[in-house]
Amino acid sequence: MLSRKQFIKQSAFTAGALLTSQWALSETEATAKRLVILHTNDVHSRLDPFPMDGSRNQGLGGVAARAQLIADIRAKEEHVLLLDAGDIFQGTPYFNLYKGEPEIKAMSKMGYDACTMGNHDFDAGLENFATQLNHASFPVLLCNYDFNGTAMESKYVPYKVFKKGKLKIGVTGVGIEMNGLVPDNLTGGTKYLNPTERLNETAELLRKQKDCDMVICLSHLGYQYKENPNKVCDTILAKESEGVDLIIGGHTHTFMNEPLVVKNRNGSDVLINQAGWAGINLGRLDFEFLPGKRKNLSKSHTLVVRKNSL
Amino acid sequence: MFFLSPKPNGIAIKKIYPKVFFSETKYTNFNFPQLTMPKVRFVFLLSAVFCLLVSCNPVYQAATVKYNGYKIMNMRTDSSVQNFLKPYSDSMNSSMNVVLATLETDLEKRQPECTLGNFMADAIFAMAEKKYGEKPDAAFMNFGGIRLPSVSAGLITRGKIYELFPFDNILLLVKIKGDVLQQFLNHISARGGWPVAGMTMQIKNKKAVNVIIGGVPVDMNKEYKIAIGDYTANGGDDAAMLKGLPQINNGYLMRDALIDYATALKKINVQLEKRVSNAE
Repeated sequence: MLSRKQFIKQSAFTAGALLTSQWALSETEATAKRLVILHTNDVHSRLDPFPMDGSRNQGLGGVAARAQLIADIRAKEEHVLLLDAGDIFQGTPYFNLYKGEPEIKAMSKMGYDACTMGNHDFDAGLENFATQLNHASFPVLLCNYDFNGTAMESKYVPYKVFKKGKLKIGVTGVGIEMNGLVPDNLTGGTKYLNPTERLNETAELLRKQKDCDMVICLSHLGYQYKENPNKVCDTILAKESEGVDLIIGGHTHTFMNEPLVVKNRNGSDVLINQAGWAGINLGRLDFEFLPGKRKNLSKSHTLVVRKNSL
Repeated sequence: MFFLSPKPNGIAIKKIYPKVFFSETKYTNFNFPQLTMPKVRFVFLLSAVFCLLVSCNPVYQAATVKYNGYKIMNMRTDSSVQNFLKPYSDSMNSSMNVVLATLETDLEKRQPECTLGNFMADAIFAMAEKKYGEKPDAAFMNFGGIRLPSVSAGLITRGKIYELFPFDNILLLVKIKGDVLQQFLNHISARGGWPVAGMTMQIKNKKAVNVIIGGVPVDMNKEYKIAIGDYTANGGDDAAMLKGLPQINNGYLMRDALIDYATALKKINVQLEKRVSNAE
């Protein structure tokens, strides 16, 4: 009979060998560890490209060109997430005439995976946004709006977990304070909750209970406010966050040449990116993942950030 | 994939020894209870299989990210999306491509004062007088409500006005006492300056100074009538000091004010006039 110690040693070795072979197997499946994130924000009903009138943005944007570009990327990449950070509505007569129907239908045709809600998505009333979502093939993610008893009650989810190969990606969203921004008669009884607290609670749930390898937050809080530096914004949210890897921002129409890296409250890197407005740009982030240890997740970790030559 | 189904194993292990596989306790610290050796061996076999199953779904961590975005040019387009959009755009263009006026100068959105803002504030000022039958003391346009960064000289269409100001905001007359007006002017100064008509002011330390309305300095005790959109008058853009002030409302849209004003003018020429400027 083996002594207890020997037995444990032997068994542990066997288990270890089996584990190693499993790691080796997964290492060869390189595609499982790559994820391409494509993102837009503040498209503001820009279904057509800007007209050729000599203005700064002439010929840029439009859903038909964006759809083609997305299709081309999807043809090359196995794992893609296509996300939007809100303010889908308002900005061209399309919205005045059709109340958001072609915007939502176009996003469904492009295969958007998720979006969050911007302040202008309230513009024709909360009920209208909920109605137009009947045309959506993607979820609206919000963890800091209380929609209980409103038209949105059954039209949103606080988060969604996407399985991409072996990766589990948790995506949630945060919306901006409506008071002083959205007229009371348009909010339809929506209650705003503290975005930092709600995001951290959601991220913890996604990490610990849903086993997510990555947590993404779609944010319509805005990048930052020079004239009001204490107003909650993406840079403050990132600093005070825990368990969030990436914030896809909106609201401030910020064009970023490169994503911003912020240390969160554990000293881990959080990436913030925003893609301007009007569908002029499509943001792209290519993430590569390495196997890690679950018990090390609370330790700070850094992300290597490089420019991609597309 | 494996010779044993995962569920019964997981349950068996959990039942006998929940801590072994769910804690970070070191192997050598295990304290086996009274179990016979074959049972221990069986448990360990199960444990190995369980580990294997768990290892099928290892934890991954984002290690590197490569960034780059695309500018959406219109070299290639998706024809199915184009076709989907066509009936919407055909119908829209038939009503929106109507030419209202000729713009003689390029209009820009800037702070503290801009040509695009002066055009809009002038339109509100003039149309409020026409629609309400009394001349307001001043008119205001919230800077965030200007939704195009610029408009090029040339023909200006109905659709362009919709892009410039897409909101269904109502043009109001609001009664406001001089001291509250001063608070509001301080608010717009702190925000970098908004378009105005009928008055001039300077911004100093985020406050409005040298305020001249109707040719004379603002009087803290006088009641003024200002032309402004319902969005701002109801506290939008954090203009809380305007909330609850007496309003006159005939339902006339600000966007219609812009359209009617442009149509009446025929030729639009706007200049900067130091209506709002930063104090030296």
